[in-house]
Amino acid sequence: MGARDTDDAGARSGADGRGPDPLPPEARTANLELWNHWTRIHEKSDFYDVDGFKAGASSLWPLEREELGPFIHEGTTLLHLQCHFGLDTLSWARLGARVVGLDFGDEAIALARRLADEVGLSGRAEFVCADLYDADAHLGDRLFDVVFVSWGAIEWLPDLERWAGIVARHLAPGGTFYMAEIHPFASALDEVPGEHDVQVRYRLLPAPDQPYADPVQGSYADAGADTSGLTAYGWNHSFSEIIGALTGAGLRLEHLHEFPTSPAPFWDWMVRDDDRWWWLPDGKGGRRKDLPFSYSLRASKPAGGEA
Amino acid sequence: MLDDYLKANLASWDEVVGLHVESELYDVPGFKAGRTALSEIELHELGPLVGEGTSLLHLQCHFGLDTLSWARRGAVVTGVDFSGEGIRTARALADEVGLSSRATFVQSDVENLRDKLTGQFDVVFTSWGTLIWLADLERWADVITHFLRPGGVFYIAEFHPYALLLADDATPDALRVGYPYFMYGVPQRFDEDGDYADPDAKVEHTVTFEWSHGFAEIVDPLLRRGLRLDFLHELPYTIPGFAFSFLERDERGMQRVKGHHEDFPLTFTLKMTKENR
Repeated sequence: MGARDTDDAGARSGADGRGPDPLPPEARTANLELWNHWTRIHEKSDFYDVDGFKAGASSLWPLEREELGPFIHEGTTLLHLQCHFGLDTLSWARLGARVVGLDFGDEAIALARRLADEVGLSGRAEFVCADLYDADAHLGDRLFDVVFVSWGAIEWLPDLERWAGIVARHLAPGGTFYMAEIHPFASALDEVPGEHDVQVRYRLLPAPDQPYADPVQGSYADAGADTSGLTAYGWNHSFSEIIGALTGAGLRLEHLHEFPTSPAPFWDWMVRDDDRWWWLPDGKGGRRKDLPFSYSLRASKPAGGEA
Repeated sequence: MLDDYLKANLASWDEVVGLHVESELYDVPGFKAGRTALSEIELHELGPLVGEGTSLLHLQCHFGLDTLSWARRGAVVTGVDFSGEGIRTARALADEVGLSSRATFVQSDVENLRDKLTGQFDVVFTSWGTLIWLADLERWADVITHFLRPGGVFYIAEFHPYALLLADDATPDALRVGYPYFMYGVPQRFDEDGDYADPDAKVEHTVTFEWSHGFAEIVDPLLRRGLRLDFLHELPYTIPGFAFSFLERDERGMQRVKGHHEDFPLTFTLKMTKENR
């Protein structure tokens, strides 16, 4: 399962056999250019702190380690979908998991492989360069104890039913799906012009045929980065869509948690605490805890083959 | 503190029963003439599970119009409300429409229902503007789980958490946030004349205390008690009776957010099953 040329449109088969690739070609081209550009920026960013990772630090948030950690043991097999350049994937490997990271970014996957070599984890970490919707063609019938997704992943996907099908097909019976993500409500917010306050601006219910196509300003990991000329195509999702896709694929919802904290700033007036989370300021030196910015979700695949 | 909040809320609910019986929104004459008080939403989603002899527990039933509408479809119903006025009115209505043999009404708050009622039910039902009156959804989930028989179904149709946090003066172009999504158990105090069923009404008990609850706060306690989530739906419309200037009626009489008819959710529904295991 070596690197392949992800620009080869002929390889984009919609290989789950469930119809044409739901990702529009122009969105894929723009997003791949963006993510390759971002990969070069992120490798050097304080946000990702690659040097700290090489020195032994985990890139995972305490949240994921606390909530998914109990399911990770020596030899647990873990599939990380949309893994970017693999820091989180490799952090799970350091905790004992045997990991496969999948991402459509060829530069990110190349970097992930270099990092795995450098920190001595290549024996338990494999990286696959593939579009999410082509995962089946690359993973075959491989099953994993855990499927992991986190932070800013599903907004790049138009079709969550197809996504959830991939999750369910690659989970072993009794296996665990876990995701920590940006909250659907926060994804629809914008700042009130001239104020440190928020209002609903974008759609809160999904429209697979209506992606946003926004000019990119910097990166969540480096707000000042030069990204001129780049465009991001994305899709807002809702809880009913996300949960419905997972239950529709035969998974059982085990937990849903929500938090007023964000892993990255939405606007430059958000504030960061020592625990690295970003908050809305309350204008009095404190933190607003009244609005949701993130959530985590765990689901299981029934052991009895019901899925 | 909690007792003071509940006392204020109870005074308000006892007072509005009379207003609601007379209101166009509740249309009691229509109900007496045979019309259902249930909306198309719960009729469509829960209706197929309610048939002749289905036992149904309705939490926070107000004066029982919805409860009795399920009874008319064949269910054997128990309605529960903390308002004595609501329960008295419900019993009188049940008598008047000839449903008292299949409808029982119990005066109790949700939290203490286990002291007042025994048995288990095929369906536990609650709807439209109930959650904001509950401080603690852990105890609510305890009660739901307790009263469901193995294999039984919990169903709720409610105003969407996002709908409850728009500012009173939100406009289609500036949907500002005016209320919290997370309240951490601390209620919002309202002091407002009028009533949702009759905005021009003069009421004596104007002060209420209300809690909003996020999705995790609603769903997670039920998951932790072993209920299986069958579906969570979000709809961009809701039933009348939710009076804000940023809403308007669609051609079917449902309310939607102006300028956001398809993309702002105003209703959620949730169905969960207590499995045989």
